[in-house]
Amino acid sequence: MENEPGITDYYKKTAMFWSDMIAMMSSKPTTLSSVGPLRTLSSNLKKITAELTEANKEIVEFNNFLIEYYKQLADTWSNAQKEVTSKSTKIPQNEEGTEAYKRVWIDIFENNFTGLFDSKKFSENYNGLISKELELLKRWNAVTDVMLKSANLPTKQEIEEIYEEIHALKNRIFKLELDKKKSEKNDRK
Amino acid sequence: MTENKFDAKIIGEFLNLGRNLAEAPMKASVPHEVKIGSTQFDIVYKEDKMRLLHFKPLTSKQIKTPLLISYAIVNRYHIFDIDPKKSWVKNLLEQGFDLYLIDWGTPTKIDKFLGFNEYVNGYMDNCVDYICDESDVDKISIQGYCTGGTLATVYSSLHPERVKNLIATAPVIDGWKDTTVVSNIAKFFDVDKLVDTVGNMPPEFIYYCFSILKPFEQGVEKYLKFFNNIDNEKFVDSFLKIEKWLDETPPIPGELFRQWIKGIYQDNLLIKNKMSVGGRLVSLENLNMPIFTQVAVGDHLVSPECSMPLHYAVSSTDKILKLYPTGHVGMIASSFSQKTVLPELGQWLKERS
Repeated sequence: MENEPGITDYYKKTAMFWSDMIAMMSSKPTTLSSVGPLRTLSSNLKKITAELTEANKEIVEFNNFLIEYYKQLADTWSNAQKEVTSKSTKIPQNEEGTEAYKRVWIDIFENNFTGLFDSKKFSENYNGLISKELELLKRWNAVTDVMLKSANLPTKQEIEEIYEEIHALKNRIFKLELDKKKSEKNDRK
Repeated sequence: MTENKFDAKIIGEFLNLGRNLAEAPMKASVPHEVKIGSTQFDIVYKEDKMRLLHFKPLTSKQIKTPLLISYAIVNRYHIFDIDPKKSWVKNLLEQGFDLYLIDWGTPTKIDKFLGFNEYVNGYMDNCVDYICDESDVDKISIQGYCTGGTLATVYSSLHPERVKNLIATAPVIDGWKDTTVVSNIAKFFDVDKLVDTVGNMPPEFIYYCFSILKPFEQGVEKYLKFFNNIDNEKFVDSFLKIEKWLDETPPIPGELFRQWIKGIYQDNLLIKNKMSVGGRLVSLENLNMPIFTQVAVGDHLVSPECSMPLHYAVSSTDKILKLYPTGHVGMIASSFSQKTVLPELGQWLKERS
Protein backbone atom coordinates (compact mmCIF):
# COMPACT_ATOMS: atom_id res chain seq x y z
CA MET A 1 0.00 0.00 0.00
CA GLU A 2 2.93 2.34 0.77
CA ASN A 3 4.10 2.07 -2.84
CA GLU A 4 0.68 2.99 -4.22
CA PRO A 5 1.45 6.67 -5.04
CA GLY A 6 4.74 5.61 -6.68
CA ILE A 7 3.00 3.02 -8.84
CA THR A 8 0.25 5.49 -9.77
CA ASP A 9 2.86 8.08 -10.71
CA TYR A 10 4.73 5.49 -12.75
CA TYR A 11 1.65 4.49 -14.77
CA LYS A 12 0.60 8.12 -15.13
CA LYS A 13 4.02 9.14 -16.41
CA THR A 14 4.23 6.11 -18.75
CA ALA A 15 0.80 6.86 -20.22
CA MET A 16 1.61 10.55 -20.67
CA PHE A 17 5.03 9.76 -22.12
CA TRP A 18 3.67 7.40 -24.76
CA SER A 19 0.67 9.53 -25.64
CA ASP A 20 3.04 12.49 -26.11
CA MET A 21 5.53 10.39 -28.09
CA ILE A 22 2.81 8.93 -30.32
CA ALA A 23 1.36 12.38 -30.86
CA MET A 24 4.77 13.78 -31.84
CA MET A 25 5.82 10.78 -33.94
CA SER A 26 2.54 10.69 -35.80
CA SER A 27 2.05 14.44 -36.10
CA LYS A 28 3.93 14.79 -39.37
CA PRO A 29 2.49 11.82 -41.26
CA THR A 30 -1.00 12.48 -39.85
CA THR A 31 -0.82 16.16 -40.80
CA LEU A 32 -0.09 15.09 -44.35
CA SER A 33 -2.72 12.39 -44.50
CA SER A 34 -5.50 13.69 -42.27
CA VAL A 35 -8.13 16.17 -43.35
CA GLY A 36 -11.46 17.38 -41.96
CA PRO A 37 -12.44 16.14 -38.49
CA LEU A 38 -9.42 13.83 -38.38
CA ARG A 39 -7.04 16.79 -38.50
CA THR A 40 -6.91 17.11 -34.72
CA LEU A 41 -7.30 13.42 -34.00
CA SER A 42 -3.92 12.87 -32.41
CA SER A 43 -3.99 15.99 -30.21
CA ASN A 44 -7.56 15.17 -29.18
CA LEU A 45 -6.54 11.68 -28.22
CA LYS A 46 -3.74 13.10 -26.16
CA LYS A 47 -6.12 15.37 -24.23
CA ILE A 48 -8.57 12.54 -23.66
CA THR A 49 -5.81 10.21 -22.47
CA ALA A 50 -4.58 12.86 -20.05
CA GLU A 51 -8.05 13.31 -18.58
CA LEU A 52 -8.68 9.57 -18.27
CA THR A 53 -5.30 9.00 -16.62
CA GLU A 54 -6.04 11.69 -14.04
CA ALA A 55 -9.51 10.24 -13.55
CA ASN A 56 -8.05 6.87 -12.55
CA LYS A 57 -6.59 8.32 -9.38
CA GLU A 58 -9.87 10.05 -8.57
CA ILE A 59 -11.85 6.86 -9.14
CA VAL A 60 -9.72 5.14 -6.50
CA GLU A 61 -10.31 8.00 -4.05
CA PHE A 62 -14.01 8.07 -4.89
CA ASN A 63 -14.23 4.35 -4.18
CA ASN A 64 -12.57 4.80 -0.80
CA PHE A 65 -15.14 7.41 0.20
CA LEU A 66 -17.94 5.24 -1.19
CA ILE A 67 -16.80 2.20 0.79
CA GLU A 68 -16.64 4.30 3.96
CA TYR A 69 -20.12 5.71 3.18
CA TYR A 70 -21.67 2.25 2.93
CA LYS A 71 -19.69 1.08 5.94
CA GLN A 72 -21.12 3.90 8.04
CA LEU A 73 -24.65 3.02 6.89
CA ALA A 74 -24.12 -0.72 7.47
CA ASP A 75 -22.57 -0.22 10.93
CA THR A 76 -25.41 2.06 11.99
CA TRP A 77 -27.97 -0.44 10.68
CA SER A 78 -26.29 -3.26 12.54
CA ASN A 79 -26.11 -1.29 15.82
CA ALA A 80 -29.74 -0.25 15.50
CA GLN A 81 -30.83 -3.83 14.79
CA LYS A 82 -28.92 -5.08 17.85
CA GLU A 83 -30.68 -2.47 19.98
CA VAL A 84 -34.06 -3.50 18.57
CA THR A 85 -33.34 -7.18 19.24
CA SER A 86 -32.39 -6.49 22.84
CA LYS A 87 -35.67 -4.65 23.40
CA SER A 88 -37.95 -6.88 21.34
CA THR A 89 -37.80 -9.79 23.80
CA LYS A 90 -39.88 -7.73 26.21
CA ILE A 91 -42.60 -7.06 23.62
CA PRO A 92 -45.58 -9.48 23.62
CA GLN A 93 -46.41 -11.37 20.41
CA ASN A 94 -49.90 -10.09 19.71
CA GLU A 95 -51.49 -7.27 17.69
CA GLU A 96 -50.54 -4.58 20.23
CA GLY A 97 -47.09 -6.10 20.39
CA THR A 98 -46.67 -5.84 16.61
CA GLU A 99 -47.60 -2.17 16.75
CA ALA A 100 -45.22 -1.61 19.67
CA TYR A 101 -42.43 -3.48 17.84
CA LYS A 102 -42.96 -1.31 14.76
CA ARG A 103 -42.77 1.84 16.91
CA VAL A 104 -39.65 0.66 18.73
CA TRP A 105 -37.99 -0.34 15.43
CA ILE A 106 -38.69 3.00 13.79
CA ASP A 107 -37.66 5.04 16.85
CA ILE A 108 -34.40 3.17 17.33
CA PHE A 109 -33.47 3.25 13.65
CA GLU A 110 -34.44 6.92 13.40
CA ASN A 111 -32.31 7.83 16.43
CA ASN A 112 -29.29 5.84 15.25
CA PHE A 113 -29.36 7.19 11.71
CA THR A 114 -30.04 10.77 12.80
CA GLY A 115 -27.06 10.40 15.10
CA LEU A 116 -24.96 9.30 12.13
CA PHE A 117 -26.19 12.07 9.81
CA ASP A 118 -25.56 14.60 12.57
CA SER A 119 -21.97 13.48 13.09
CA LYS A 120 -18.86 15.19 11.82
CA LYS A 121 -17.43 11.91 10.46
CA PHE A 122 -20.49 11.42 8.23
CA SER A 123 -20.49 14.99 6.97
CA GLU A 124 -16.76 14.92 6.21
CA ASN A 125 -16.91 11.59 4.39
CA TYR A 126 -20.10 12.42 2.51
CA ASN A 127 -18.73 15.76 1.37
CA GLY A 128 -15.49 14.04 0.35
CA LEU A 129 -17.55 11.61 -1.72
CA ILE A 130 -19.45 14.44 -3.41
CA SER A 131 -16.22 16.32 -4.00
CA LYS A 132 -14.63 13.34 -5.80
CA GLU A 133 -17.82 12.79 -7.79
CA LEU A 134 -17.63 16.40 -8.94
CA GLU A 135 -13.96 16.03 -9.88
CA LEU A 136 -14.86 12.99 -12.01
CA LEU A 137 -17.68 14.98 -13.57
CA LYS A 138 -15.21 17.74 -14.36
CA ARG A 139 -13.00 15.21 -16.18
CA TRP A 140 -15.99 13.89 -18.10
CA ASN A 141 -16.92 17.46 -19.04
CA ALA A 142 -13.38 18.03 -20.30
CA VAL A 143 -13.50 14.84 -22.42
CA THR A 144 -16.91 15.83 -23.81
CA ASP A 145 -15.59 19.32 -24.57
CA VAL A 146 -12.81 17.82 -26.71
CA MET A 147 -15.40 15.85 -28.68
CA LEU A 148 -17.71 18.87 -29.01
CA LYS A 149 -14.83 20.97 -30.29
CA SER A 150 -13.93 18.35 -32.90
CA ALA A 151 -17.57 18.37 -34.05
CA ASN A 152 -17.41 22.19 -34.24
CA LEU A 153 -20.00 22.58 -31.49
CA PRO A 154 -19.80 25.08 -28.59
CA THR A 155 -18.12 23.71 -25.48
CA LYS A 156 -19.42 24.03 -21.90
CA GLN A 157 -16.99 26.85 -21.24
CA GLU A 158 -18.08 28.73 -24.36
CA ILE A 159 -21.75 28.38 -23.39
CA GLU A 160 -20.94 29.55 -19.85
CA GLU A 161 -19.25 32.62 -21.33
CA ILE A 162 -22.47 33.45 -23.19
CA TYR A 163 -24.53 33.01 -20.02
CA GLU A 164 -22.15 35.24 -18.11
CA GLU A 165 -22.32 37.86 -20.85
CA ILE A 166 -26.13 37.79 -20.81
CA HIS A 167 -26.10 38.07 -17.03
CA ALA A 168 -23.78 41.10 -17.17
CA LEU A 169 -25.97 42.70 -19.85
CA LYS A 170 -29.11 42.13 -17.77
CA ASN A 171 -27.44 43.73 -14.77
CA ARG A 172 -26.49 46.75 -16.87
CA ILE A 173 -30.08 47.07 -18.13
CA PHE A 174 -31.33 46.68 -14.56
CA LYS A 175 -29.10 49.56 -13.41
CA LEU A 176 -30.28 51.76 -16.29
CA GLU A 177 -33.91 50.99 -15.46
CA LEU A 178 -33.28 51.75 -11.80
CA ASP A 179 -31.72 55.11 -12.64
CA LYS A 180 -34.66 55.87 -14.92
CA LYS A 181 -37.12 54.95 -12.19
CA LYS A 182 -35.30 57.16 -9.67
CA SER A 183 -35.25 60.17 -11.98
CA GLU A 184 -38.96 59.69 -12.78
CA LYS A 185 -39.74 59.66 -9.06
CA ASN A 186 -37.66 62.81 -8.54
CA ASP A 187 -39.48 64.50 -11.44
CA ARG A 188 -42.85 63.69 -9.86
CA LYS A 189 -41.70 65.26 -6.58
CA MET B 1 -39.51 -29.12 18.04
CA THR B 2 -40.80 -25.69 18.96
CA GLU B 3 -44.16 -24.57 17.80
CA ASN B 4 -44.48 -21.15 16.18
CA LYS B 5 -47.58 -19.29 17.24
CA PHE B 6 -48.86 -16.43 15.09
CA ASP B 7 -51.58 -14.09 16.15
CA ALA B 8 -54.50 -14.31 13.71
CA LYS B 9 -54.83 -10.52 13.75
CA ILE B 10 -51.21 -10.06 12.67
CA ILE B 11 -51.73 -12.40 9.73
CA GLY B 12 -54.92 -10.53 8.92
CA GLU B 13 -53.02 -7.22 8.91
CA PHE B 14 -50.43 -8.59 6.49
CA LEU B 15 -53.14 -9.93 4.21
CA ASN B 16 -54.91 -6.58 4.29
CA LEU B 17 -51.71 -4.77 3.41
CA GLY B 18 -51.21 -7.13 0.47
CA ARG B 19 -54.77 -6.52 -0.73
CA ASN B 20 -54.33 -2.74 -0.35
CA LEU B 21 -51.09 -2.82 -2.34
CA ALA B 22 -52.82 -4.70 -5.13
CA GLU B 23 -55.88 -2.45 -5.16
CA ALA B 24 -54.04 0.88 -4.71
CA PRO B 25 -53.78 1.73 -8.45
CA MET B 26 -57.58 1.38 -8.76
CA LYS B 27 -58.32 3.44 -5.65
CA ALA B 28 -55.79 6.28 -5.83
CA SER B 29 -54.92 8.76 -8.57
CA VAL B 30 -51.59 8.68 -10.38
CA PRO B 31 -49.46 10.92 -8.11
CA HIS B 32 -48.25 13.18 -10.91
CA GLU B 33 -51.80 13.76 -12.16
CA VAL B 34 -53.05 15.06 -8.81
CA LYS B 35 -54.12 18.70 -8.98
CA ILE B 36 -52.76 21.05 -6.34
CA GLY B 37 -54.11 24.51 -5.55
CA SER B 38 -57.66 25.67 -5.85
CA THR B 39 -57.50 29.36 -4.99
CA GLN B 40 -57.72 31.52 -8.09
CA PHE B 41 -55.06 34.07 -8.99
CA ASP B 42 -53.84 36.30 -11.82
CA ILE B 43 -50.23 36.48 -12.93
CA VAL B 44 -49.76 40.23 -12.69
CA TYR B 45 -46.01 40.58 -13.22
CA LYS B 46 -43.31 38.39 -14.77
CA GLU B 47 -39.56 38.73 -14.91
CA ASP B 48 -37.35 35.93 -16.25
CA LYS B 49 -38.68 32.76 -14.55
CA MET B 50 -40.21 34.67 -11.61
CA ARG B 51 -43.97 35.31 -11.51
CA LEU B 52 -45.96 37.53 -9.17
CA LEU B 53 -49.34 36.00 -8.35
CA HIS B 54 -52.24 38.15 -7.19
CA PHE B 55 -54.98 36.11 -5.53
CA LYS B 56 -58.58 36.98 -6.26
CA PRO B 57 -60.31 38.48 -3.20
CA LEU B 58 -62.81 36.41 -1.24
CA THR B 59 -64.25 39.33 0.73
CA SER B 60 -66.06 42.46 -0.48
CA LYS B 61 -63.60 44.76 1.38
CA GLN B 62 -59.85 44.32 1.66
CA ILE B 63 -57.36 45.52 4.25
CA LYS B 64 -55.53 48.52 2.79
CA THR B 65 -51.94 47.34 3.16
CA PRO B 66 -51.26 44.49 0.71
CA LEU B 67 -49.41 41.39 1.90
CA LEU B 68 -46.66 39.85 -0.21
CA ILE B 69 -45.57 36.26 0.47
CA SER B 70 -41.99 35.40 -0.37
CA TYR B 71 -41.93 31.65 -0.83
CA ALA B 72 -38.84 29.49 -0.21
CA ILE B 73 -36.31 28.76 -2.94
CA VAL B 74 -36.65 25.03 -2.21
CA ASN B 75 -39.84 23.31 -3.50
CA ARG B 76 -42.74 25.23 -5.05
CA TYR B 77 -45.26 27.61 -3.51
CA HIS B 78 -48.15 25.12 -3.84
CA ILE B 79 -47.86 24.09 -0.19
CA PHE B 80 -49.55 27.42 0.67
CA ASP B 81 -52.65 26.26 -1.19
CA ILE B 82 -52.33 22.48 -1.06
CA ASP B 83 -55.88 21.79 0.06
CA PRO B 84 -58.86 24.15 0.46
CA LYS B 85 -59.25 23.15 4.12
CA LYS B 86 -55.59 23.71 4.90
CA SER B 87 -54.90 26.58 2.52
CA TRP B 88 -52.77 29.38 3.96
CA VAL B 89 -53.66 31.79 1.14
CA LYS B 90 -57.40 31.03 1.25
CA ASN B 91 -57.48 31.68 4.99
CA LEU B 92 -55.73 35.04 4.60
CA LEU B 93 -58.07 36.01 1.74
CA GLU B 94 -61.05 35.13 3.92
CA GLN B 95 -59.60 37.40 6.60
CA GLY B 96 -59.70 40.24 4.05
CA PHE B 97 -56.06 40.54 3.03
CA ASP B 98 -55.03 41.74 -0.44
CA LEU B 99 -52.64 38.90 -1.17
CA TYR B 100 -49.66 38.54 -3.53
CA LEU B 101 -47.16 35.69 -3.74
CA ILE B 102 -43.79 35.38 -5.47
CA ASP B 103 -43.33 32.16 -7.42
CA TRP B 104 -39.56 31.99 -8.04
CA GLY B 105 -40.12 29.53 -10.89
CA THR B 106 -37.79 26.81 -12.09
CA PRO B 107 -34.27 28.10 -12.79
CA THR B 108 -32.32 26.69 -15.72
CA LYS B 109 -28.61 26.78 -16.55
CA ILE B 110 -28.80 30.37 -17.77
CA ASP B 111 -29.82 31.44 -14.25
CA LYS B 112 -26.61 30.11 -12.70
CA PHE B 113 -25.29 33.61 -11.99
CA LEU B 114 -28.36 34.84 -10.10
CA GLY B 115 -27.58 35.60 -6.47
CA PHE B 116 -29.04 37.39 -3.46
CA ASN B 117 -28.67 40.73 -5.24
CA GLU B 118 -30.86 39.71 -8.19
CA TYR B 119 -33.42 38.00 -5.97
CA VAL B 120 -33.70 40.76 -3.38
CA ASN B 121 -32.79 44.03 -5.10
CA GLY B 122 -34.11 42.85 -8.46
CA TYR B 123 -37.10 40.51 -8.43
CA MET B 124 -38.44 41.24 -4.96
CA ASP B 125 -37.97 44.99 -5.19
CA ASN B 126 -39.68 45.07 -8.59
CA CYS B 127 -42.60 43.10 -7.14
CA VAL B 128 -42.90 45.55 -4.24
CA ASP B 129 -42.78 48.44 -6.75
CA TYR B 130 -45.55 46.86 -8.78
CA ILE B 131 -47.76 46.26 -5.72
CA CYS B 132 -47.20 49.76 -4.34
CA ASP B 133 -48.12 51.29 -7.71
CA GLU B 134 -51.22 49.12 -8.08
CA SER B 135 -52.44 49.69 -4.51
CA ASP B 136 -51.33 53.31 -4.28
CA VAL B 137 -49.36 52.74 -1.07
CA ASP B 138 -45.73 53.43 -0.10
CA LYS B 139 -45.24 50.35 2.03
CA ILE B 140 -46.49 46.78 2.09
CA SER B 141 -46.40 43.85 4.52
CA ILE B 142 -44.08 40.97 3.66
CA GLN B 143 -44.21 37.40 4.89
CA GLY B 144 -41.29 35.09 4.14
CA TYR B 145 -41.32 31.36 4.70
CA CYS B 146 -38.20 29.23 5.30
CA THR B 147 -35.47 30.41 2.90
CA GLY B 148 -38.03 32.91 1.60
CA GLY B 149 -38.02 34.28 5.17
CA THR B 150 -34.31 34.93 4.83
CA LEU B 151 -34.84 36.72 1.51
CA ALA B 152 -37.63 38.80 3.09
CA THR B 153 -35.37 39.64 6.04
CA VAL B 154 -32.52 40.73 3.76
CA TYR B 155 -34.96 42.79 1.67
CA SER B 156 -36.42 44.47 4.77
CA SER B 157 -32.94 45.35 5.97
CA LEU B 158 -31.93 46.92 2.65
CA HIS B 159 -35.29 48.58 1.93
CA PRO B 160 -36.90 49.26 5.34
CA GLU B 161 -38.79 52.23 3.88
CA ARG B 162 -40.85 49.83 1.72
CA VAL B 163 -41.85 47.37 4.48
CA LYS B 164 -44.70 48.15 6.84
CA ASN B 165 -44.69 44.78 8.62
CA LEU B 166 -42.41 41.76 8.40
CA ILE B 167 -43.54 38.23 9.17
CA ALA B 168 -40.68 35.71 9.28
CA THR B 169 -42.01 32.15 9.29
CA ALA B 170 -39.29 29.60 10.12
CA PRO B 171 -36.59 31.81 8.58
CA VAL B 172 -33.00 30.60 8.15
CA ILE B 173 -31.01 33.19 10.11
CA ASP B 174 -28.27 31.82 12.38
CA GLY B 175 -26.61 28.96 10.49
CA TRP B 176 -24.20 28.06 13.28
CA LYS B 177 -27.05 27.48 15.71
CA ASP B 178 -28.94 25.25 13.30
CA THR B 179 -28.93 21.72 14.68
CA THR B 180 -30.46 19.95 11.68
CA VAL B 181 -28.69 17.35 9.55
CA VAL B 182 -28.97 19.78 6.62
CA SER B 183 -26.72 22.26 8.39
CA ASN B 184 -24.31 19.45 9.35
CA ILE B 185 -23.80 18.66 5.66
CA ALA B 186 -23.77 22.33 4.65
CA LYS B 187 -20.98 23.18 7.08
CA PHE B 188 -18.42 20.97 5.29
CA PHE B 189 -19.79 21.32 1.79
CA ASP B 190 -17.45 22.36 -1.05
CA VAL B 191 -20.00 24.65 -2.64
CA ASP B 192 -17.48 26.30 -4.99
CA LYS B 193 -16.70 22.96 -6.61
CA LEU B 194 -20.39 22.14 -7.04
CA VAL B 195 -21.32 25.48 -8.58
CA ASP B 196 -18.24 25.64 -10.81
CA THR B 197 -18.77 22.08 -12.07
CA VAL B 198 -22.53 21.62 -12.20
CA GLY B 199 -23.87 25.19 -12.27
CA ASN B 200 -27.14 25.12 -10.36
CA MET B 201 -27.76 23.05 -7.25
CA PRO B 202 -29.47 19.96 -8.73
CA PRO B 203 -32.82 18.77 -7.30
CA GLU B 204 -31.41 15.25 -6.77
CA PHE B 205 -29.12 16.60 -4.09
CA ILE B 206 -31.98 18.45 -2.41
CA TYR B 207 -33.97 15.18 -2.38
CA TYR B 208 -31.01 13.51 -0.69
CA CYS B 209 -31.01 16.16 2.06
CA PHE B 210 -34.75 15.63 2.56
CA SER B 211 -34.40 11.86 2.67
CA ILE B 212 -31.88 11.90 5.53
CA LEU B 213 -34.06 14.13 7.68
CA LYS B 214 -36.27 11.35 9.03
CA PRO B 215 -35.46 8.37 6.83
CA PHE B 216 -37.60 5.77 8.55
CA GLU B 217 -40.65 7.84 9.45
CA GLN B 218 -40.67 9.53 6.07
CA GLY B 219 -39.29 6.70 3.99
CA VAL B 220 -41.00 3.64 5.48
CA GLU B 221 -43.75 4.37 7.99
CA LYS B 222 -45.36 7.10 5.90
CA TYR B 223 -45.92 4.75 2.95
CA LEU B 224 -47.17 1.88 5.13
CA LYS B 225 -49.69 4.32 6.59
CA PHE B 226 -50.71 5.33 3.06
CA PHE B 227 -51.40 1.77 1.95
CA ASN B 228 -53.17 0.94 5.22
CA ASN B 229 -55.49 3.90 4.64
CA ILE B 230 -56.08 3.35 0.93
CA ASP B 231 -59.87 3.24 1.46
CA ASN B 232 -59.83 6.64 3.20
CA GLU B 233 -60.41 8.99 0.26
CA LYS B 234 -59.57 12.18 2.19
CA PHE B 235 -56.34 10.75 3.57
CA VAL B 236 -55.23 9.44 0.16
CA ASP B 237 -56.01 12.75 -1.54
CA SER B 238 -54.10 14.79 1.05
CA PHE B 239 -51.16 12.31 1.01
CA LEU B 240 -50.77 12.42 -2.77
CA LYS B 241 -50.93 16.20 -2.87
CA ILE B 242 -48.12 16.51 -0.34
CA GLU B 243 -46.08 13.84 -2.15
CA LYS B 244 -46.48 15.65 -5.45
CA TRP B 245 -45.43 18.92 -3.86
CA LEU B 246 -42.36 17.27 -2.30
CA ASP B 247 -41.43 15.83 -5.67
CA GLU B 248 -41.52 19.21 -7.42
CA THR B 249 -38.22 20.57 -6.28
CA PRO B 250 -36.61 23.04 -8.67
CA PRO B 251 -32.84 23.53 -8.93
CA ILE B 252 -31.36 26.45 -6.97
CA PRO B 253 -29.36 29.03 -8.96
CA GLY B 254 -25.67 28.29 -8.43
CA GLU B 255 -24.59 31.73 -7.24
CA LEU B 256 -27.51 32.04 -4.84
CA PHE B 257 -26.73 28.60 -3.46
CA ARG B 258 -23.04 29.49 -3.07
CA GLN B 259 -23.86 32.69 -1.19
CA TRP B 260 -26.41 30.80 0.87
CA ILE B 261 -24.11 28.01 2.03
CA LYS B 262 -21.10 30.24 2.62
CA GLY B 263 -22.92 33.28 3.97
CA ILE B 264 -25.43 31.56 6.21
CA TYR B 265 -24.18 28.09 7.15
CA GLN B 266 -20.39 28.32 6.90
CA ASP B 267 -19.50 31.93 7.78
CA ASN B 268 -22.81 32.87 9.47
CA LEU B 269 -22.61 36.42 8.09
CA LEU B 270 -26.29 37.38 8.32
CA ILE B 271 -26.64 37.25 12.09
CA LYS B 272 -23.23 38.94 12.47
CA ASN B 273 -24.45 41.85 10.28
CA LYS B 274 -21.57 41.16 7.89
CA MET B 275 -23.44 39.92 4.84
CA SER B 276 -23.06 42.03 1.72
CA VAL B 277 -25.73 42.08 -1.00
CA GLY B 278 -25.34 44.23 -4.12
CA GLY B 279 -22.44 46.07 -2.50
CA ARG B 280 -24.49 47.00 0.57
CA LEU B 281 -24.12 45.62 4.07
CA VAL B 282 -27.14 43.79 5.45
CA SER B 283 -27.68 44.85 9.04
CA LEU B 284 -30.50 43.29 11.04
CA GLU B 285 -30.46 46.44 13.14
CA ASN B 286 -32.11 48.19 10.18
CA LEU B 287 -35.23 46.15 10.86
CA ASN B 288 -37.26 48.76 12.71
CA MET B 289 -40.74 47.83 11.43
CA PRO B 290 -43.17 45.60 13.38
CA ILE B 291 -41.87 42.03 13.20
CA PHE B 292 -43.62 38.74 13.86
CA THR B 293 -41.28 35.72 14.05
CA GLN B 294 -43.04 32.36 13.81
CA VAL B 295 -41.11 29.28 14.87
CA ALA B 296 -42.13 25.60 14.93
CA VAL B 297 -40.77 23.70 17.92
CA GLY B 298 -40.67 20.41 15.99
CA ASP B 299 -39.02 21.88 12.90
CA HIS B 300 -36.42 19.38 11.63
CA LEU B 301 -35.56 21.40 8.52
CA VAL B 302 -34.85 24.80 10.12
CA SER B 303 -34.32 24.33 13.82
CA PRO B 304 -35.93 26.86 16.22
CA GLU B 305 -32.44 27.88 17.42
CA CYS B 306 -31.68 28.98 13.86
CA SER B 307 -34.81 31.17 13.45
CA MET B 308 -35.23 32.70 16.91
CA PRO B 309 -32.09 34.91 16.89
CA LEU B 310 -33.87 37.20 14.40
CA HIS B 311 -36.22 38.34 17.15
CA TYR B 312 -33.31 39.42 19.36
CA ALA B 313 -31.16 40.96 16.62
CA VAL B 314 -33.58 43.56 15.27
CA SER B 315 -33.97 47.14 16.46
CA SER B 316 -37.77 47.07 16.25
CA THR B 317 -39.59 47.64 19.53
CA ASP B 318 -42.85 46.27 18.16
CA LYS B 319 -41.90 42.63 17.82
CA ILE B 320 -43.27 39.26 18.79
CA LEU B 321 -41.83 35.74 18.80
CA LYS B 322 -44.24 32.79 18.79
CA LEU B 323 -43.30 29.15 19.19
CA TYR B 324 -45.82 26.64 17.88
CA PRO B 325 -45.96 22.95 18.83
CA THR B 326 -45.80 21.72 15.24
CA GLY B 327 -43.35 21.04 12.41
CA HIS B 328 -41.95 22.95 9.43
CA VAL B 329 -44.84 22.13 7.09
CA GLY B 330 -47.41 21.76 9.88
CA MET B 331 -46.97 25.45 10.67
CA ILE B 332 -48.35 26.51 7.28
CA ALA B 333 -50.44 23.62 5.94
CA SER B 334 -52.39 21.86 8.68
CA SER B 335 -55.60 22.13 10.63
CA PHE B 336 -53.41 23.43 13.49
CA SER B 337 -52.23 26.34 11.37
CA GLN B 338 -55.84 27.10 10.41
CA LYS B 339 -57.00 27.06 14.02
CA THR B 340 -54.04 28.75 15.72
CA VAL B 341 -51.25 30.16 13.54
CA LEU B 342 -53.32 32.00 10.93
CA PRO B 343 -55.89 33.63 13.27
CA GLU B 344 -53.03 34.97 15.43
CA LEU B 345 -51.14 36.22 12.40
CA GLY B 346 -54.27 37.80 10.91
CA GLN B 347 -55.09 39.59 14.15
CA TRP B 348 -51.55 40.91 14.55
CA LEU B 349 -51.40 42.09 10.97
CA LYS B 350 -54.83 43.75 10.97
CA GLU B 351 -53.85 45.81 14.00
CA ARG B 352 -50.86 47.12 12.02
CA SER B 353 -52.31 47.46 8.52
